[in-house]
Amino acid sequence: MPSNDPATRPATGRATVLIDGNNFYASCEAVVDPSLIGRALVVLSNNDGCIVSRSAEARALGIPMGTPYFKVRSALERQGVIVRSSNYALYADMSQRMMATLEPWVEELEIYSIDEAFGQLHRLRDGGDLTSWGQQVRHTVLRQLGLPVAVGIAPSKVLAKLANKLAKSSASHGGVFDLGTVLDPAPYLEAVPIEDVWGIGRKLSRWCRLRGVANAKALRDMPNGELRRKCGVVGLRLQHELQGVACIPMELVPSSKRETCVSRSFSQPIRELPQLKQAIATYLSRAAEKLRRQGQRTGAITVFVRSSPFNGTSFYSRAATVSLALASNDTAVLLAAALPLAEKLFHPHKPLQKAGVLMQQLVGEDTLQHHLLVPLPEEQQQRRRSLMATIDRLNKRYGQGSVQWAACGFTPPWQMQRSRLSRAATTRLGEIPIVYA
Amino acid sequence: MDDLALAWIRLEVLGALRSERKSCLRPLASDSVAAGFPSPADDYIETGIDLNDALIRHPSSTFFLRVSGDSMRGAGIQHGDLLIVDRSLEFRSGKIVVAVIEGAFTLKRLVQHQGQWHLEAAHPAYPATPLNDDLDHCLWGVASHAIHAL
Repeated sequence: MPSNDPATRPATGRATVLIDGNNFYASCEAVVDPSLIGRALVVLSNNDGCIVSRSAEARALGIPMGTPYFKVRSALERQGVIVRSSNYALYADMSQRMMATLEPWVEELEIYSIDEAFGQLHRLRDGGDLTSWGQQVRHTVLRQLGLPVAVGIAPSKVLAKLANKLAKSSASHGGVFDLGTVLDPAPYLEAVPIEDVWGIGRKLSRWCRLRGVANAKALRDMPNGELRRKCGVVGLRLQHELQGVACIPMELVPSSKRETCVSRSFSQPIRELPQLKQAIATYLSRAAEKLRRQGQRTGAITVFVRSSPFNGTSFYSRAATVSLALASNDTAVLLAAALPLAEKLFHPHKPLQKAGVLMQQLVGEDTLQHHLLVPLPEEQQQRRRSLMATIDRLNKRYGQGSVQWAACGFTPPWQMQRSRLSRAATTRLGEIPIVYA
Repeated sequence: MDDLALAWIRLEVLGALRSERKSCLRPLASDSVAAGFPSPADDYIETGIDLNDALIRHPSSTFFLRVSGDSMRGAGIQHGDLLIVDRSLEFRSGKIVVAVIEGAFTLKRLVQHQGQWHLEAAHPAYPATPLNDDLDHCLWGVASHAIHAL
């Protein structure tokens, strides 16, 4: 690891920054429940499956990320670690607040995931050094939202991602690191394993390893001819970015999705066909709603099921696809087409742990379709569209599931388990925290 | 089409609620008629009073809390009130603030007295708490409004 006080140089032009929340889910929980501040806390994935977020104190205990909960449950209890189910209403609200708070600090902001955003701005003062700017951003988000963030600053996205990691890994950086003003970034790049470079897939990193390219610096310096032959423009772009040349543009408008997937694990294994059908109907109607919100229709639906990978019986995993003659986002049409697949996939002796639906071949709602099979006259199609729109509005206003298809069943036993769910403390008036006067 | 029928039944139940809600969001005047003279009132279109606008200056740093207890009664804040807290406001002497004391949200007035910061109740029965290293505390946000149901 290089020394913490590197030789610096002035920098000019545009900087790319990556700002992300530290232990985002765990941090959100502590914002609305101050008894969690300074405590070891872990947050579990859907159905209380695996550990997906750990507070700094839980990290310090050596609790690994991604561990299945049931494996460490008693150890966590012994150590007094607090456990929470994923509270997506809270995290989504805090995420939206965080992005709104970051917006004025940069010239452009690209929301990359629930807890991270790329930004761009010009280097103007202090010889171009943005470290104190980064500290101000950090201070503001911490003060106004109670969320700790890390700020990585560099000439390109790939390097900003890397600088962000360095900002977090070394305490002396104080959560902010500007790689763009470092005279010689090579020692930093050398400390980053090839697998940790943003944009490197598992396949490409294995290929690099075979050639002795084991870290970010080696990738930056390898002959580009070989890289181009192996992975074309994508590889070259990565290399350029590592050399400090920005060539992955900011995506300011989220690109329209080409696929949409809804899948969940069941709280208890499903052993009967009617239950599987209800689950799939529920996912189908959620997916249809997503499509309508995105202004898209689907041309093909894949339904998949699998058993638990943890129990002893042989693993069972199946999928089936149906193509639609006419792309649609009408819940009734999707149900009629895809529900029969459940019968194909169901196996009476294989308890299922998870199912999902994948919408493929998505097309825009306004895409004209010339087809011999027009199933409904225009007037009726219009009525169906307004019915769907009304259902979506009602569900949005009165909460998910206010209006639903009977095929989805009522309070089914397989529904998601979140036994340690905290309250929707920032989005529901009945669940706001108490302040003692 | 059993499922469709079900959807419609629920729609009708919710329909009444919906039209009621919508009425309070509608503009007081609108230029919906294209023909004829423009309405002289069009320059004065108002969208109605929005309490969010009136009470919340910084939406992303504003949080709601429910008040429990009577130690702030002298400041007009009562048990059960809805408290609006803006975490972007500056902590200054005299402000009513939410502090985290030993892991719980606490509502008090922040006061600086002879160089020493205190949290003071607005009730004679509660003593002031000096903010020093002996106390596990942090200042969380400044209360901007308390909403009291009559």
